[in-house]
Amino acid sequence: MKMNRRQVLKAGLAASAVYSPWMIARAQARPVKFAAILPLTGAFAFAGNAGLEGFRDAADRINDAGGIGGRRLELVVEDSGYDVARATAAFNRIVQRESPEELVFVYGDSTGTSKALAPEITRLRLPYSATSFSNELADPNTYPTIFVFGPTYNDMAGALLQQIRLQRGRGAKIFLCYSNSEFGRDPIPFIKDRAGKLGFQIVGEEVTPLAIADATPIVTKLRQTQPDFVIMQGYVLTVEPLVVRAAREQGIRATFMGTYYSAELALMQRAGAAADGFIVTYHNAYYYDTTVSAVEQIRALRRAKGRDLSYRTTYYMGTWMVLDAVAEAMRRAHAAGRLTRPGLIEALENLGDYNAGGQARNMRWVNHRLPFTKLWRANVRDGRFDAITDWVDGSKL
Amino acid sequence: MDLALVIQTAFNGLANGALYAVIASGFVLVYRATSVVNFAIAEFMLIGAYLTYTMSLFFPLLLALLLALPPAFIFGLLVERGFVRPLLGRNVVAVVMATIGLAAALDGATLLLWGPDQKAMGAADVFQLPKEMPNLAFSLGGVFLSSKAVWSLVLALPLALLLVVALKYSRYGVLLRAVSESETAALAMGINAPRVVAVAWGLSAVMATIGGAFLAGAAGGGGPGHHLILLGLIVFPVAILGGFDSVPGAVVAGLFIGLIEAFSQLYLESLLPGITQAIPFLIVLLVLLFRPYGLFGQHRIERV
Repeated sequence: MKMNRRQVLKAGLAASAVYSPWMIARAQARPVKFAAILPLTGAFAFAGNAGLEGFRDAADRINDAGGIGGRRLELVVEDSGYDVARATAAFNRIVQRESPEELVFVYGDSTGTSKALAPEITRLRLPYSATSFSNELADPNTYPTIFVFGPTYNDMAGALLQQIRLQRGRGAKIFLCYSNSEFGRDPIPFIKDRAGKLGFQIVGEEVTPLAIADATPIVTKLRQTQPDFVIMQGYVLTVEPLVVRAAREQGIRATFMGTYYSAELALMQRAGAAADGFIVTYHNAYYYDTTVSAVEQIRALRRAKGRDLSYRTTYYMGTWMVLDAVAEAMRRAHAAGRLTRPGLIEALENLGDYNAGGQARNMRWVNHRLPFTKLWRANVRDGRFDAITDWVDGSKL
Repeated sequence: MDLALVIQTAFNGLANGALYAVIASGFVLVYRATSVVNFAIAEFMLIGAYLTYTMSLFFPLLLALLLALPPAFIFGLLVERGFVRPLLGRNVVAVVMATIGLAAALDGATLLLWGPDQKAMGAADVFQLPKEMPNLAFSLGGVFLSSKAVWSLVLALPLALLLVVALKYSRYGVLLRAVSESETAALAMGINAPRVVAVAWGLSAVMATIGGAFLAGAAGGGGPGHHLILLGLIVFPVAILGGFDSVPGAVVAGLFIGLIEAFSQLYLESLLPGITQAIPFLIVLLVLLFRPYGLFGQHRIERV
């Protein structure tokens, strides 16, 4: 049967009338996917599970408010076991299985995994962030799709060194204790370089595994070198309590310092009174700080859902903040008709005016990182960390 | 060289070594009784540490540790009855795979039972401070011994030595030796071999609990958690160095590796980062090359 032009036009109009709403509805019904590769088992399971809870709560809040332009935000979760090979396999599974139109963001774990995956993430033009705050990842020239939702370990170390300068001035004696891992080694060259410029003396250096049976050899070196400050890096509260306890037991009065992963209440819970005065960097809000509006939002959501209102860890707060900000970027990309991987990168880069409700200083990136942090001091009597500085801009240190 | 420093390092190394010795002697006990290499030994430590933690929520820490031992013993019996006994006599690879599977299952079970949160002995929530054993730390002539070191030396080391003596002189020790020589002959002599084997698993779990509890901060700092599995790997070099089927060998090897680790951490670690972690395994390589039956293992000649 041969159709004339008029009939073809009519058929086209009829088809579009029938299919367009269906197509639109189908597009809207398609979820937006956010993949999270977290250490849900193994030595870092405490951080991975808390982080997942943060993601789930944030996703519930986003979906309860209508999702991303009517599309449901869906989490794709895989366990890494804090193992680079396992995390890489999980990443490959996810990117092969999920459609690029739906999967627009991946959140990974560890400095080691993120560094291993970075070239592939860049090749796929996939927006990515991770539990890692490695300096190497905050480099948009090399890795234009990777965002670090916080200061890098160098920024954190810079803030600690600034505090040392304020407390002690030139000539301060610093002892470095770090884990023999990517995580542990990351800021060490920066610290050494910066300490030299500030006139500090690195009087000792100790490299340990991620878990140790005994802190005595470390404390022996502290006794020999008598530092004013001990900076601990690359641990997650398995080593810091042992060292600080053993040090106090032996009468060492140095000020202990750590970065983001030491900034959890478990430090005091594990080290007891010895943790008092331990200085850490931390760039989100603590769950007990009810003056922060984001904390109120979290509590309101958990109350409404009938969930446990007791203390949530820093790992929870961090992932909540990441998904809250990424969802805002998704909304903006959707509003611009570009909820794609490149569209999301552009939206993330222009997120500077977003108010994260006190969960971050602001969303203005400096080399794809948010360089602001605060310093906090462990207060064992009250069982919390007290802020001892306002926001410190790590990019200017 | 500072003599006080050397003495202090030696004592602390021996104290750590005592913990390795107590865990490894339980591991070797099971191997002697059943010829099963228990790849889940680190998870035995983990379960023991969590049992101690649970008891510590209700009792003082030392009492909590003692009260954790009976359930740990029962746990060892259950593992033997549920996992090991059905596999005895099967291909060695099947039994090895079963204990690796058991390790994964126990990992998951601890997550389910106790949750993933970081914990500290005696602290029910994150706002509570930990309970501690009485502080036995002391300083003498410039030599400082931490409370953990003293507790390890007064509790773990005598226990490991007691096991050595008991295996040599007690009736159970004789029965265990008979079963390990030939289970068939032991059964023919009227020995209740399954019971002897089950007790070995129970005792192994008890030893792992003592070691695990101390490594998890029973004497201060730290807490139970999956980092214990990393620490538990030390059992294998200790057992291989000791001879794998010798409990006295495991005790001597544990003390030796504790000493080597302590001196390596003090003198070598800053020169060669990571060396302390590697040294026990380097020793194992050397042992396997030059003395495959270890320090005290039976020198068997097998004709094939």
